[in-house]
Amino acid sequence: MQILKYGLLSLGALIMVLPFADMFIGALRGPSDVFANPPRYLPAEPQWGVYARVFRDLPMGTWFANSIIVTGIITVLQVSTSTMAGYALAKYDFTGRASIFRLVVGAQMFPFFLFIIPIFFILRFAPLMGGNDVAGQGGSGLLGTYTALCLPFAVTWYGVFLMRQFFMAIPDDLLEAARLDGASEYRIFRSIMLPLVKPAIATLTLFSFVYHWNEFIWTMTVTRTAPDLQTLPVGIYLLQGAFEDLDQKALQQAALAISILPVIVVFLALQRLFVGSDFASGVK
Amino acid sequence: MDAGDGPVGAGRAQWLFLAPLLLFAVVFLILPLGFSIYLSFTRWNPLGTPSWVGLRQFEYLLTRDDDFLRSLVNTFIFAFGFVVIGVPLALGLAFVFSRARGKAVWRQIYYLPQLTNIVAIAYLWQFVLDDRYGVINRMLGLVGLRGPDWLTDPTMAMVSVVLVMIWYDAGKNMLIFSAALEAVDQDIYDAANLDGATAWRTLRSITLPIIRPAFIFVTITSFITGMGFFALILAMTGGGPRGATDVTALYAYRMAFEDLRMGRASAAALILAAVIGVIALIQFRALRERS
Repeated sequence: MQILKYGLLSLGALIMVLPFADMFIGALRGPSDVFANPPRYLPAEPQWGVYARVFRDLPMGTWFANSIIVTGIITVLQVSTSTMAGYALAKYDFTGRASIFRLVVGAQMFPFFLFIIPIFFILRFAPLMGGNDVAGQGGSGLLGTYTALCLPFAVTWYGVFLMRQFFMAIPDDLLEAARLDGASEYRIFRSIMLPLVKPAIATLTLFSFVYHWNEFIWTMTVTRTAPDLQTLPVGIYLLQGAFEDLDQKALQQAALAISILPVIVVFLALQRLFVGSDFASGVK
Repeated sequence: MDAGDGPVGAGRAQWLFLAPLLLFAVVFLILPLGFSIYLSFTRWNPLGTPSWVGLRQFEYLLTRDDDFLRSLVNTFIFAFGFVVIGVPLALGLAFVFSRARGKAVWRQIYYLPQLTNIVAIAYLWQFVLDDRYGVINRMLGLVGLRGPDWLTDPTMAMVSVVLVMIWYDAGKNMLIFSAALEAVDQDIYDAANLDGATAWRTLRSITLPIIRPAFIFVTITSFITGMGFFALILAMTGGGPRGATDVTALYAYRMAFEDLRMGRASAAALILAAVIGVIALIQFRALRERS
């Protein structure tokens, strides 16, 4: 029974890592392996130089920098807006609170694909931006800017929900006491409340980082014609034509490896801060 | 708390905290949804101005556009395959992990795809599933079998994208189930043991009822994800071969950004969203009632 259990788990784990191993092996193949008859699976002589070649032959530096910039900005925005809104929804009593909370929960239901077309044109016709006139005509609006990449993700409904749940668990007495001491509302939020939800902030940071480092569809849609703004997944996808030749496959696999690695490193570094059961907080 | 109870400013502070959210809700939620609905009643190539055509886009898509109708069927196959195989698999994994040694490591391995961008997922599997030189067909070849044309045969292509989607998402649902399983009090199991309950009976009468909310949550969210997910298919098969994996969200995306028919694309997206909404509601009712 035990043997069966661990045997199955190992087999499953093997299937989970197989494509990754295949990628690392593939990246090290040289032309002599690819053009051998039949082509060799394991490289006769691992071509480690491929990782330097990726940075030389592809705009890898630009993609990498863009991935860092965009992911960084979005993560900061999401953590800020989620903590602020989550705090207000948890700790203030006011008319409209229930409606706003329903909005937060309801907004999570809408599938992402529904927003691609309209938000694309809202950015395109943003008044007075990117050469547009007041009516939003004449220029290219916010398309082709970092704003177009980041602003549509400034708020995450799920993050607001998560933060609200965590702030709810903090006793109101703490708030009352701080108010009696004459602390301003902003100071209470910044110096008393935020430190108390650090684990939640760490979780949200990790979520936002992973999600937006890997974000593909939206970024591709608004940077298709702006190579300077492309991130790693988008750059690699749109350059697929460059990898058609058999001996360019290794280059593609090396580029993919580089696009994956940062997330895994960050995840392993941060995961001890990470509250696994938060995944389930939407369930209860 | 009444506004008068707090210090000066307490009555208004919440609106400052909520200002970004409210602004965002107007510009990136309400406005786009309204714009989308408006566009679906028009014919619009973004170089010109939209012209009102009433319900004609919907009528065309639902009655005359075979590609669209086929994409709806493909969407259902993809989402059902994903849910029917993927959800029980994730539950099973979580269950085995909860009793396995080194569960943190097992979980990390199965969570790996969730950390990977979808372009890499698609390409990694393209390499693995390559008809002639992919590692799977090479291995099958070693034992004398001829592997299928995973990505170039229409039926197998759909099977492949469903399997990859399950592989990609298993880790996420597994974690949700794990959290739910861990919330079960050990004392209940001990008590059941004392009463001489068999493992099977413990599973059926204690574990499953307790994780029921998680099961409902995972089933419905997975279904919604599966119905609207097209990034994997776009990068892996591009909807091919010959439209065999073309799903509606991908169809709408292409209609918008390749064919530049914004009205028809918006109508297609809205039809899909409505279908998802109705089915999610039915699932929610059905799964709730059986408890």
